[in-house]
Amino acid sequence: MDKIRIALAGNPNVGKSTLFNRWTGMRQHVGNWPGKTVEKKEGTFHYNQQEIEVVDLPGNYSLTAYSVEEVVSRDYIIGEKPEVIVNVIDAANIERNLYLTLQMMELGANIVLALNMNKFAREKGLKINKNQLSNLLGVPVIEIEAVDDTGSEELLETIVKVSKSPKIVLDRLEYGNEVSEHIQQIEKIIDQDLSGDNNKSVFDAPSSWIALKLLEDDPQIIKEIEESGKAQRVLESVKKIQGHFNDVFGDDADAAITDARYGFIAGLISESVKKPKIDKVTRSDLIDRIVTHKYLGIPIFLLIMWLTFQITFTVGDPMGGYIEEAFALLGETVSANLGEGFLTSFIVDGIIGGVGGVLVFVPIIFILFLILSLLEDSGYLARAAFVMDRFMHKLVGLHGKSFIPMILGFGCAVPGVMATRTLENERDRFLTMLIVPFMSCSARLPVYALLGAAFFSAYQGWVIFSLYILGIVVAIIMAAIFKKTIFKGMSAPFVMELPPYRIPTAKGALIHMWERGVLFLKKAGTLILALSVVIWALSSLPVGVEYASQESITGQIGTALSPVFEPLGFGEWQAAVAIIYGFMAKEVVVSTFGILYGVGEDGSGGTATTDGTNPESSGEKAPKGEEVAPSAEVAPEEDPGFISAIQQVFTPLSAYAYMVFILLYIPCLATLATIRRETNSWKWPAFAAGYTFAVAYAVSLVVYQGGLLLGF
Amino acid sequence: MMSLAMATENDHLRIVEVWHGGKFKKKLSEMGIYKDSRIKIIKNDIPGPLIVDVKGSRLIIGRGQAQKIMVEGN
Repeated sequence: MDKIRIALAGNPNVGKSTLFNRWTGMRQHVGNWPGKTVEKKEGTFHYNQQEIEVVDLPGNYSLTAYSVEEVVSRDYIIGEKPEVIVNVIDAANIERNLYLTLQMMELGANIVLALNMNKFAREKGLKINKNQLSNLLGVPVIEIEAVDDTGSEELLETIVKVSKSPKIVLDRLEYGNEVSEHIQQIEKIIDQDLSGDNNKSVFDAPSSWIALKLLEDDPQIIKEIEESGKAQRVLESVKKIQGHFNDVFGDDADAAITDARYGFIAGLISESVKKPKIDKVTRSDLIDRIVTHKYLGIPIFLLIMWLTFQITFTVGDPMGGYIEEAFALLGETVSANLGEGFLTSFIVDGIIGGVGGVLVFVPIIFILFLILSLLEDSGYLARAAFVMDRFMHKLVGLHGKSFIPMILGFGCAVPGVMATRTLENERDRFLTMLIVPFMSCSARLPVYALLGAAFFSAYQGWVIFSLYILGIVVAIIMAAIFKKTIFKGMSAPFVMELPPYRIPTAKGALIHMWERGVLFLKKAGTLILALSVVIWALSSLPVGVEYASQESITGQIGTALSPVFEPLGFGEWQAAVAIIYGFMAKEVVVSTFGILYGVGEDGSGGTATTDGTNPESSGEKAPKGEEVAPSAEVAPEEDPGFISAIQQVFTPLSAYAYMVFILLYIPCLATLATIRRETNSWKWPAFAAGYTFAVAYAVSLVVYQGGLLLGF
Repeated sequence: MMSLAMATENDHLRIVEVWHGGKFKKKLSEMGIYKDSRIKIIKNDIPGPLIVDVKGSRLIIGRGQAQKIMVEGN
């Protein structure tokens, strides 16, 4: 039996993903639509020996050409012709949801309506007569609950049945005489002039749909029609009809068609849905009275953010510590078995050190994603966007939704950058990605801890706090600058749906966490592995030099680059090398100092390579040593020999300038790899790297030279 | 007639005119805000965005955007 190809479609927040997860479980594949940054989810499952392949289309309100998601959806429906489209509908919100349904019907899709969340609809007092609705629309209507198995059997049975006998219901749509007549006029010309033109995929769609889209001034369709070279007569008559609409209705054709669609829906609703006389106050509204309250909203938001961090780091840090210990042990085992040599160094310092250093963050990232998924699925994130909007608006001209990625950036810029996906507007999304790395992530804390302890023991807390604030200030200033330059005049208007609160399902949240986390593992992991090898090679060559010494290529590069950092107060080659390594992961800066100054973890002064440790593992012990496990090792910031070595190199002022530089300069490799992935272009990570370097250089310069002038 | 931004909570209103251009006007209409549609104000705290009820769903609308939507009492 051939497999059936189906697609899931519907508005955002209607339970599409829940249904998709229920069907496919872990047998799903997440990727991007060809050439687009839009996520594409596919999976297969079996029902009564019938193989079914399902694609989860992006959540849309409409099928215009104005957003990438909508173009992806309609191109898929036209080009790939899935046998059945399962249109998931939030029953509590049926009237607005049917707007998309209508547009899919216009496209000639073979639709099954899955009414979801009937419980909420009943709570609201809505009574939906699904048989009546089905009769009026000419498509099957099934009641389901995506969170449990209600209606699942009936839905699948209907899908299989409908796939065998497709029903095209173009004739069910009634848009009033005026609109219908004009559509037919254009349709006729299209059929005469353009039919049989197989070069353009658009002609796979019904001519009535093309006519409708032309009247709506759809830029993509107009372009494709023009490219056929035979469009003159069609476009002329479209122009004429549009003029006629303006004269008759005093409004454009576009608005008249929208009205006609809503009019048709209003008719459907009045015949198939009974609404309550008085609006009932829902539980969601009651919660919102507190959560979105004028004065309580922000304290509640801050409390939830604080809890998010507390949980992430309390649970994630020790787990990261275990991974770190495992890698250290692995490194030691490899060294012990292979003995000293080139290969050992390659495996231990290069691969285990580089990749292990990044994997340490996996638990934190997964837990953060889990909590984020729970907040998102419950509907709270939309409230957070609402609450933060007034501040973001005044300060940077971004809307409230942009604040969420920035908050996540304090934990790690990688999930922060990924969370920009919730911003529909691409420009706002790119802008937010560019400023997220300025949020001081957890990997930078070890650097502050080390230098803070060495130079500012009395005010260490304040020094670290000032760096966090500096990061936020720089982010806000840069956002304001970008908004006035490269993203000029492109402020996205703010309208978004506030979904009702829902209890998130464990399965949904876990799958959500997994798919995001695995992407981090795969993509960032491969790139980091490659770069680890490169850095290792540069540190080991030419043959015979001590690993990461001044004679190695790394050392030579550091020596060559050090004059660049001279004006910032840290012109030693070791400082430059630490900056280069820090590009891999910022906490590596600390371990690099450990190696370069030849101070071992036991403080005896033995070199790191003979200890069988690697640059990353020795340094990461620094911030975590005390809490992970009672260890005999001394963290670098508590190592008197190390501290005195550092104190000879830096002054308090240059140490501060150095920390400022570490805070602001080029995002770590994982972040850049994520920006590359999310923007689908090398341009943005390259730009992010370039401009953050410039900003870091400028701010450090001001701090150091200004400090000198003030006599520090 | 007044702008949506001036409306008070629990007002039932009818949209008279949407003074937004092309793309955003279309987006609003897809979400249920178009000439002659009926809405209810759920929240209007100044400053900050508004929450309105549109055909049973809740929408957040930026204050700046609300200023360009004209409404009148139902």
